[in-house]
Amino acid sequence: MNKQFKLKITVFHCINTFSDAGNVQRGGDETTEINFIALPCSSMVKDVFLLRAFEAGADAVIVMVCPEGACRYVEGNLRAKRRVMWVQNVLDDIGLGGRRLTLFNVAPGDEKAIVKIIEETRADVAALGPSPAHYVARLA
Amino acid sequence: MIVGEQKKIAEIKELVEPYRKILILGCGTCVKTCFAGGEDEVSTVASALRLALSIEGKEIAVEELTVERQCEDEFIQEAAEAIARSEVVLSIACGAGVQDIAKSFPKVPVLPGVNTTFIGILEKHGLFTEECLGCCDCKLALFGSVCPIARCSKKLLNGPCGGSKDGTCEVDPAIDCAWQLIIDRLKELGQLHTLKSYVEPKDWRRSNAGGPRKLVRQDHII
Repeated sequence: MNKQFKLKITVFHCINTFSDAGNVQRGGDETTEINFIALPCSSMVKDVFLLRAFEAGADAVIVMVCPEGACRYVEGNLRAKRRVMWVQNVLDDIGLGGRRLTLFNVAPGDEKAIVKIIEETRADVAALGPSPAHYVARLA
Repeated sequence: MIVGEQKKIAEIKELVEPYRKILILGCGTCVKTCFAGGEDEVSTVASALRLALSIEGKEIAVEELTVERQCEDEFIQEAAEAIARSEVVLSIACGAGVQDIAKSFPKVPVLPGVNTTFIGILEKHGLFTEECLGCCDCKLALFGSVCPIARCSKKLLNGPCGGSKDGTCEVDPAIDCAWQLIIDRLKELGQLHTLKSYVEPKDWRRSNAGGPRKLVRQDHII
């Protein structure tokens, strides 16, 4: 990808997956800006929150939810999964690409998994390039 | 309630493309319940449209508003100021709402953002089923309150057809056989004998086949 762009990743996560992951690089580095948004349950992530993250300049959005069967609110993570699938379709429909939005099940406090997910997303988005939604604005 | 589904954003984008100031107008009654046109959907469509157009390097000013009902003038007027500020209204109400907004504001184009689907019920969260065709000659009393007009694929008034298999319709196994439902229900009520009576052919002139309908309540007209 073009080196002038700094990747921006927004992570929505249930506070039960992690609330204060010390080993997770919260601010990103010189190549990547990462914004974490904690939710009391992943099911609180509405369609519009995901879309607005892209409007705010995210190149990729990650939703981290509890493992299936382990949601404190029984089915919050399942609802989040369905919602993410719906928004992925919207992103495909508008030409942004559903691949830029991903959902992962994360066991509580599994910092290694979180770091790995972010690393993989970073590589994936680097290959995809910057979000076309704000490409014009970034060049301006 | 009236059930509808949101149009694809790509189709909506094409509709609004000629305009730069748009009001997305939601309806807080039927289409809100079926996740097609309430406040949440107004925000989602607005965001998706802005994103879709920004990919093409275009900007659009989107105002968002939801009124309680788009099929009643009292509520429609709440949108008057926002409509005056806009070049176009994208109504994500049912077809009745779209047309009522257009009637009230003849100088503003009003576009549909929802495909109105049917009169139905919320069977379970996320599942809506058609229950009524609005035929204007309700015979539910004869059929244990299961409508063969809306729910039998062949609209048989003197069923069943013989094509039912394991309680499902031969047209599509995903459809419950309405006549199986009618028989089960009448058995449960001890009224199965009502099916011995022949049901006369329906007078479809009272339905939409007779042209657009009007319902006049003189006692409410001044």
